[in-house]
Amino acid sequence: MAFSTTVSQRKHIKRKAPRGFLKRVFKRQKPHLRLETSGDLLVHLNCLLFVRRLAEESRMNAFESKCGVIKKEHVQAAAKVILKKSRG
Amino acid sequence: MAEAMAESYNRDSEPTTRTLLRRVLDTADTLTPRRRRSARVRRLSSPTKMNVRRRSHRARSIGRLAHVHTSGNLEEQTPRTLLKNILLTAPESSVMMPESVVKPVPTPQVVQSSRRESSRGSLELQLPELEPPTTLALGLLAPGRRKQRQRLSVFQQGMDQGLPLSQEPRGNGSASSLTSSLNLTFATPLQPQSAQRPGLARRPPTRRAVDVGAFLQDLRDTSLALASPGDSLRTPVATLPTDTVLEDTQPFSQPLIGRSPSVYHSLPCLSHTEAEDAKRAVSHRTQSSGPRLQNHNPGKPTQLLAGKAKKVDALAVSFPNNSSAVSGEDGVEPLQDGVGEEAEERMEESLSVSKVVATTGTQGSVRMEKSKGHREMTEAAEAKEPEGSSGASLELASSTTEFLQARRPQFLEPAPPPSAAVLSSEPLEPLSTRLPPRARTPGPRPRQDPHKTGLSHYVKLFSFYAKMPMEKAALEMVEKCLDKYFQHLCDDLEVFAAHAGRKTVRPEDLELLMRRQGLVNDQVSLHVLVERHLPLEYRQLLIPCAFSGNSVFPAQ
Repeated sequence: MAFSTTVSQRKHIKRKAPRGFLKRVFKRQKPHLRLETSGDLLVHLNCLLFVRRLAEESRMNAFESKCGVIKKEHVQAAAKVILKKSRG
Repeated sequence: MAEAMAESYNRDSEPTTRTLLRRVLDTADTLTPRRRRSARVRRLSSPTKMNVRRRSHRARSIGRLAHVHTSGNLEEQTPRTLLKNILLTAPESSVMMPESVVKPVPTPQVVQSSRRESSRGSLELQLPELEPPTTLALGLLAPGRRKQRQRLSVFQQGMDQGLPLSQEPRGNGSASSLTSSLNLTFATPLQPQSAQRPGLARRPPTRRAVDVGAFLQDLRDTSLALASPGDSLRTPVATLPTDTVLEDTQPFSQPLIGRSPSVYHSLPCLSHTEAEDAKRAVSHRTQSSGPRLQNHNPGKPTQLLAGKAKKVDALAVSFPNNSSAVSGEDGVEPLQDGVGEEAEERMEESLSVSKVVATTGTQGSVRMEKSKGHREMTEAAEAKEPEGSSGASLELASSTTEFLQARRPQFLEPAPPPSAAVLSSEPLEPLSTRLPPRARTPGPRPRQDPHKTGLSHYVKLFSFYAKMPMEKAALEMVEKCLDKYFQHLCDDLEVFAAHAGRKTVRPEDLELLMRRQGLVNDQVSLHVLVERHLPLEYRQLLIPCAFSGNSVFPAQ
């Protein structure tokens, strides 16, 4: 007995992946390409990891500047580093 | 010895330990009805002559012992009495027969070596009920000199009679511990845990009093979610949507005057009985609290807001549930205004707003701003304007409290256009014409809002991972970063797919991308990351797993 590819409506998944959004973004960017079904889940995983790294980096920046609030500059500096890392 | 053997052979063609025991007991001059029984002896396959010799030898020793204990007092806890009980109670044709045959043989050894009368006594107490285990125990009680031989003989008998070997090794263990454990299990009943460990007692879950309004709204949300599943991507229409079919149950006429348009603007409600009930309930509430609105309303809205805030937090991640957030905020303001009908209608409208995230998000944000501030009865047109300007999805992404303190001027019209399109059952088409046209920029809005609401999902995650308060500018910066990230991602995937000569991006491309990013390396595989960060349902879809029937899902 194999599981179904769809989740029944009653199941409440925590931290759902916005699959429609991801598919739409990909389609908009690359209309000539196609994305597979489980591919967008992996894209979501990638996004999660990216956001996590970004958040940690900006948090570190805020700590270093002894600030209790994350400011735009912290995020910007963090983004530079992390975007470069996740260039692939 | 020869006599014993001859004797045994004379009595039965196939002497068994059971019969030997019987003979022993019979000869020991007791009033037993067992003599009759001995006639009906089960024929078991006779083991080798050596075993017979051994058994006869033991039978003799039993005989010696039998003479020692002349009286068969049951009060005395002796092995003899135990054996008697066994023979009395054990059915001859029982499955446990082999055991009872085997086990009584070692018991003479037990008698010889040591007498643990107390333990036996407790065992004896259980004898009538728990026959086979006690026979086991008796058999296993054999410590002492003849242990090895006894076990060997027993083993051989067991082999010959097809006994499971598991019984034998058990005897190798500490017999005392086994009996003691048996004693424990037999003698001591299971005490209720609560008596010993009060901490383990199950406490009834503490339940909060149910807020009827929140409950009904939740019901409506779920029903709406079921009703219109696929509308999350609809973009809002510039014009006002349909309007209410809500029946006016309110007796208030004055507030209606100033708000008549807004009333009409209220969203269409799927004619749920729940909606009406909620309406009536709210109307009742507001009616009762009519003059003392200020006193009561803070209680209710805060209560509702608390409930809504809870809901909002719970549902903050998923898009379609922004409507509920909206509904929450909606419910708050009108109540405070003391206009019962509006409150209900707002609530219903907001509840009936289903999947159009963008507009509801914007409206919700604006509404939230207003709710804590001063209510103003404004026209729907004015109410709609700030929606477009606010860029609401971003604000919605921030904490709700920020909105509550933000500007508030207009009383937002809770009539998201998409809901009309979404809810086919709305009979409120004509109402839209009544609404004054809202000045809005229809062009870029449909593009931005769903995109922004999608991004807001990740922005919320960012603020969660950061664990620190953030500025709004920082959140906008995060959005820009995400945009850039998605562009990079798509480009990379395109390159990888083209490199593989494909036009479809496959999971292998994704894995290669993560490998190049350094997330996946030889120590950490993709499956590990999937297990760590994705919920179970996605993990099932991604990682192939074998199921029964030689099937693997997902198929490779």
